[in-house]
Amino acid sequence: MAIKSILVIEDDRFIGEMYVRSLKKAGYDVDWMVDGNDGLIAARNKPYDVILLDVMLPERRGSEILQILRGGAEDLIPATKVIVLTNFDQTEEARLAMERHADGYLIKAEITPKKLISVIQKLDQ
Amino acid sequence: MAVKSKAAESEQLHLFWPRHRRMTLLRAMTVQSFIIALVIGVIVVLYPNPPIGAWIVISILTVMALLGTWVVTLMAMRPVKDLSSALVHVSGELSAQVPPNLNDSYYVHTRLRPLLKLVYDMATNQPGSPAEENNEGAVVTNVDVAGQLNHTATGLIMLDASGEIVFANKSAPILIDGNGKKSIELIFDVDPSISQWLAERDEHDIHAEKTWRRIANKLTGEPDRRLFDVYVSYEKGSEAETIITLFDRTNDYQPEDDDLDFIAFAAHELRGPITVIRGYLDTLNDELADITDPDQKELFQRLIVSANRLSGYVNNILNASRFDRRHLKVHLEEQTVQNIYDTIADDMQMRATAQQRLLSVSLPDGLPTVAADLNSMSEVLANLIDNAIKYSNDGGSIEVTAGVNADFVEVSVTDHGIGMPANVISNLFHKFYRSHRSRETVAGTGIGLYISKAIVESNGGKISVRSVEGHGSTFTFSLPIYSTVADKLKTGVNNQDFIERSSSGWIKNHGAFRG
Repeated sequence: MAIKSILVIEDDRFIGEMYVRSLKKAGYDVDWMVDGNDGLIAARNKPYDVILLDVMLPERRGSEILQILRGGAEDLIPATKVIVLTNFDQTEEARLAMERHADGYLIKAEITPKKLISVIQKLDQ
Repeated sequence: MAVKSKAAESEQLHLFWPRHRRMTLLRAMTVQSFIIALVIGVIVVLYPNPPIGAWIVISILTVMALLGTWVVTLMAMRPVKDLSSALVHVSGELSAQVPPNLNDSYYVHTRLRPLLKLVYDMATNQPGSPAEENNEGAVVTNVDVAGQLNHTATGLIMLDASGEIVFANKSAPILIDGNGKKSIELIFDVDPSISQWLAERDEHDIHAEKTWRRIANKLTGEPDRRLFDVYVSYEKGSEAETIITLFDRTNDYQPEDDDLDFIAFAAHELRGPITVIRGYLDTLNDELADITDPDQKELFQRLIVSANRLSGYVNNILNASRFDRRHLKVHLEEQTVQNIYDTIADDMQMRATAQQRLLSVSLPDGLPTVAADLNSMSEVLANLIDNAIKYSNDGGSIEVTAGVNADFVEVSVTDHGIGMPANVISNLFHKFYRSHRSRETVAGTGIGLYISKAIVESNGGKISVRSVEGHGSTFTFSLPIYSTVADKLKTGVNNQDFIERSSSGWIKNHGAFRG
């Protein structure tokens, strides 16, 4: 599967812009949503190859979005890879709950856009 | 008052033996002395003026007779002593007497063992203390117990031998699923859970008890979350084999949770700007590579190193906070020391170069694999190397080496810097402790070694330091060799989960993707 389209759900303007800039430079098609509601709607309306999902989002938490997309009887985004990107130190329980439905879980402060792109390329293999 | 205490004293079990011993010895010696006197009397009457040699023989015989009586009396009384000290022991009375050890060959040899065993068995199987005498029924029962138990905030659950819930009061956290099946609603984030523990008891024990602290019934943030101290008692073969008592401690534990939230939120705030700084530094460093001169490149390196360190310190604070609240978790899996170092190698080399240190890492090829948590152990190694850089001088060298010691792989970080005096070492791993000199000259939080020790010990290893003031220090941590603990790890449910997870193409920044 060749990853082409990426949805970034990220409320921090600086961080969002940084990812969007680097991903676009690397040749991906990128959509960016800044709140949880819009993010969920976008994720359901268009089949993205990858979703980068923040946890602490206005309107709707990332955990809730993931639960709706992946937690029900049917996986609503079977062809999409989800990488949770957060700086929030979740409790072990909450983190494990999200990890169950995601393809990756990264601390934003620990990665740079360059590393993020290498992670996405790794998913592509 | 005095009469009363005297009466109470005479009821004490352990007073029997010393008195009995004293009185019996006294009587035996008195009788023996009397007989000897009688014999001497008879001899003197029959043979007046015996020669001096006869007196010597008589004296020797007297001493031997008295000594023999003493020894034989004590030997004859030993079973009495052992039985009485066994009785004192099972009564629970405080005394200095050591209860007899059933495995002593003396008891087997003299056939006393079955008697002693009976005393011990009677005490464990058939309660002898007054409070338990009415075991068949309650001490006092004038009410419908099951109904009244619903008034207490303390949860009570009873399980039968198959683990089915046979009783639960209203306060007990019980979950009923679609099929009407009841289960205990508790989330065990520590090992073992009640059911794991009970499974082990079934095989080994007749009677056992265990207490769990701070166990929640729901995830953080869910409504009606309660936090319990859970006390479980197990009695094999009884009707309700397991009795679980749950003390609701939500009011005590909740504020701690709120504190934890504060640190989590504070870290979240700090990490936001760090993300942007690290991200754009990396980006700019690449994009401007062609137009910056070497001097400016070095400035970039310093910025990147500083941002990376900042990010590491935030992790230290989070880990220390988790550890203090017993939330620190490690997931042990098969790892190589090389792998642990590789996750931080680029960052460490950059830090050393930026501060004019020479970092040489020589890990032998044939090192056995270790059981370790990759993420937290790489943070430990980073902390130690960071310290070595801090406490050494420009141009100094830092060596990372490893070797096998018994069942452990030991990793050492050596610097040739300022070192420290012996009196500093004992405090070194304490929280917020900073050595005498570093207070003025070197920046830091004093939390790095504290959390490093906690992490290493959580991984099943040890951390230590050797240092000579003025000549440098060597910090060494050990990790268990994987093959020595593999069996244990495989039986742990949590670890199994983790091994499954990591083998299914899992991505975390703890692995190869660390910034």
